[in-house]
Amino acid sequence: MIKKIVAPVAFVIASLLSLTSCQSQEEIKRQKYITEGILKYQNNCANCHQRDGKGLAALYPPIAGSDYLAHKDSIIHIIRHGQQGPILVNGKRYNRPMPAQMHLSNLEIAEIVTYIYAEWGNSNDIVDVKYVDKVLK
Amino acid sequence: MRNSFWGLSNAQLILAFVLMVGSASCQSNDRLPILGQKEAITKTVNGKTITDSVDHAIPDFRFVSQYGDTVSAQTLKGKIYVADFFFTTCPTICPKMKTQLKRVYERFKGNPKVMLLSHTIDPTRDSVAVLREFAQNLEVEGRQWLFVTGDKEKIYDIGQNSYMVSAAEDASAPGGVVHSGAFILVDAQKHIRGIYDGTTVDGVDKLMADMDRLLAESK
Repeated sequence: MIKKIVAPVAFVIASLLSLTSCQSQEEIKRQKYITEGILKYQNNCANCHQRDGKGLAALYPPIAGSDYLAHKDSIIHIIRHGQQGPILVNGKRYNRPMPAQMHLSNLEIAEIVTYIYAEWGNSNDIVDVKYVDKVLK
Repeated sequence: MRNSFWGLSNAQLILAFVLMVGSASCQSNDRLPILGQKEAITKTVNGKTITDSVDHAIPDFRFVSQYGDTVSAQTLKGKIYVADFFFTTCPTICPKMKTQLKRVYERFKGNPKVMLLSHTIDPTRDSVAVLREFAQNLEVEGRQWLFVTGDKEKIYDIGQNSYMVSAAEDASAPGGVVHSGAFILVDAQKHIRGIYDGTTVDGVDKLMADMDRLLAESK
């Protein structure tokens, strides 16, 4: 019984996939980045910036709804090397040091940044490892 | 079936009623435990030396708040409070703890029976001025939530021996100090009534529920 159903369903799915494969190679990669990025964000960033990206009072700035998202290269740089001194986000001054995340690889940073922009930056673009390599060179 | 309610017989109704009353009275007697070892004391009563046991309690202390004034057991007199140990530059669990303790602060804001007491375990760096800026940045006002600094040995001692949490310097740990993420609930008699995981939403939901119970005890 089950075999009779599985075969045609699999055929339909396979043909659908092949139809969209051109666009989905890139999209599959982006989804993989986001999935990895969620975990890495929660383990490395959410302590301060919170799971919802809203930050904490005037201690830690928000990522969600942040005007600082306009500076993608700077964000990549800050994740790797940390941030000292005051920083202005949405017109508000924050002045807590952010520790450098030297343990994160370029790929991991790429995954986190892709996730951040997908979740809070209204962006469907992938920030891939090659781009992070270039920025951090 | 005329005398029935939801199809239950009178006998069943009476049984249900008894069970409801029973469980309700059970709940009101269900006080939070007093934690810690009882301590033996010897005292002299009417010329005779007797040994008695007393519950573990937080001894008096002297620290300095973010406003620069002295905080002692007297400051917390007649109140229940939540104590924790942190430091302002801690990159690991402290932000989580402060996020959660802020929830407690918002929930009990303005309640004259409730205070929060955060001890820094890095008093060398966390001066009065640093703690004041930290409290301001956390958007904490007034005297309900005090951030205290003081003699390092005394802070570690009260943490380990009185609040029963761990805190120790460790050069290999991020920030140089390892410490517990616990929140300790203390009643108006200075007894510890609960210890909670201050890094999780669940742990702190439990703490707030127990604070309500503790406040109800003294009514």
